[in-house]
Amino acid sequence: MTNVANVPEYGQNGDKKPSIRAKIQAMGGFLTNMVLPNIGAFIAWGILTALFIPTGWIPNEQLEQIVGPAITYLLPLLLAYTGGRMIAGQRGAVMGAIGAIGLIVGSDIPMFLGAMIIGPLGGYVIKKFDKLIENRIAAGFEMIVNNFSIGILGFGLMIISYLFIGPVIQSLNEAMTSAIQALVATGFLPLLSIVNEPAKVLFLNNVIDQGIYYPLGLQETVEAGKSIFFTVASNPGPGLGLLLAFTLFGGKIARRTAPGAIVIHFLGGIHELYFPYVLMKPLTIIGMIAGGMSGIAVFSLFDAGLVAGPSPGSIFAYLALTPRGNFLGIISGVLVAAAVTFAVTSVILKLDKNKDEEADFSSSLAKSQSMKAEGKQLMNFSAESADTTNVSKISFACDAGAGSSALGATTFRKKLQKRGITDIEVKHYRIEDVPEHSDIIVVHKNLSDRARMAHDDKRIITIESYLNDPSLDELLDQLEQEKG
Amino acid sequence: MLADLLKGNIHFANGMSTWEESIKVAAEPLLSKRFINESYVQDMIKNVEINGSYIVIAPGIAMPHAQNQGGVLKTGISFLKLENSVTYPEEKNVNILFVLAAEDSEGHLELISDLSSLLIDEDVMEQLKQSTDEEEVLNLIESLE
Repeated sequence: MTNVANVPEYGQNGDKKPSIRAKIQAMGGFLTNMVLPNIGAFIAWGILTALFIPTGWIPNEQLEQIVGPAITYLLPLLLAYTGGRMIAGQRGAVMGAIGAIGLIVGSDIPMFLGAMIIGPLGGYVIKKFDKLIENRIAAGFEMIVNNFSIGILGFGLMIISYLFIGPVIQSLNEAMTSAIQALVATGFLPLLSIVNEPAKVLFLNNVIDQGIYYPLGLQETVEAGKSIFFTVASNPGPGLGLLLAFTLFGGKIARRTAPGAIVIHFLGGIHELYFPYVLMKPLTIIGMIAGGMSGIAVFSLFDAGLVAGPSPGSIFAYLALTPRGNFLGIISGVLVAAAVTFAVTSVILKLDKNKDEEADFSSSLAKSQSMKAEGKQLMNFSAESADTTNVSKISFACDAGAGSSALGATTFRKKLQKRGITDIEVKHYRIEDVPEHSDIIVVHKNLSDRARMAHDDKRIITIESYLNDPSLDELLDQLEQEKG
Repeated sequence: MLADLLKGNIHFANGMSTWEESIKVAAEPLLSKRFINESYVQDMIKNVEINGSYIVIAPGIAMPHAQNQGGVLKTGISFLKLENSVTYPEEKNVNILFVLAAEDSEGHLELISDLSSLLIDEDVMEQLKQSTDEEEVLNLIESLE
């Protein structure tokens, strides 16, 4: 959904239509890139929360005040900022954050899903606008136009997201509540996981726990001295299984961050730490649901329950709230849930990997590589080969991003204009700042290693002179033919 | 814009013994007017040492510059023409230098645009290579604006 808007830009020539597979893959990569850079912030928040909330390890009233604003504002804003940046660089980032604040204030639950939509949307809006006015700004007015375009469009986005997107997500929340109530009424509790797990990952965990399950649990505790409702959404088992699976079979970066997340999630009880991993690879929600269901099934089988709502949902809180005689049931429920989620998630991750990244079988190698390339291309909205169709952005890069690259970009832009090509954006950057959506990167041959390191998946043209180079002339000719 | 900024920053010299010296001499006007400080001169030299002669943007023409790490106080440009060329790394001979000092990556784009018009106009470049005093250089540039 987040990058669907960009799909039409790709492959208008029939034989290159991206498959649905490639679309899903590009979408997955997009989500990963939006979430992963921000995991550190989630961890910081997790540590803070585990320590200082009233039920935490060293409750502290002052420091606890950071918990709410951090999850309401900081984390969604970071996601929206990153999402915007992926679409339209720094300007997109600013737009994304502006849009996100509207929906954060427009709703009273944490706006993670909303932020992951509004961020890229904001980026997309400013990207389109910039393209529209490119080359039409009178010299000397660039700064004022740049600032006011974000200002005015951002103002609009802020209001729209406050008025419309917030309420949409609110009503989603209400729909979930009634779904849960309907499932409780059936009496077959494992079904609850089907709603619980997706709701949790969207950061509605506290809403459903404290809003639905704890009141139900309290009622039951008054009569029976314990309740299974305290466990249905707070079981730390599935999260543990998921993170273990990522630790062993996840992508490179996920593999390194997941172990830390385990400590904060399982021991610290901050479930939010595993949510980003599910958001990166949405299919893993199946593992979460399977684990959650098995957990509830085991709890029911042993007729186990807790005496109060475990908050935070840490294994220690679980053990502390387990009534005598229920330990076997509670511990088995947590462990079985972890094992089931681990097994299912591992299979999902491995399949995903085999298909996408490192095909082991020579027969599927070529096929998978082309699939991967297709997905990647789509994600960069670009073609990797010498193909110049649909080039919409050329980035000149140099060490400083101010001198030679600016000169190269300006000169190239003039040459394009001379040939009547006006729909290609030509900009200059420091090598490391070249935005992801560039179709072609032009860099001096002395700097090409650095450019490859930072952008290994892009078409990079190396030149000897930023002003006048045979490769640039060739590119001009190609572009003229395509657009002509 | 380019002509305004270049006024008073144009110098001519016979030759230089090293390329490092040519950057130092070419940057001198900006240094004495406090547009840049000594560290920027070092940054420009370091840039060539690390990245090679990519600042030689066209045959015979170098545009020494670097990222502003605090050494640029004000956006500016200076010009140095050498009677006898000096050799930059990778055996590149240079006799015209435009030292570029940019505060950030956006504010000087008009300047860059003028410079680009100048450099791609072969007639004007030819005349620039023949020029002998500041007046002549400024007139040439103004003729383009």
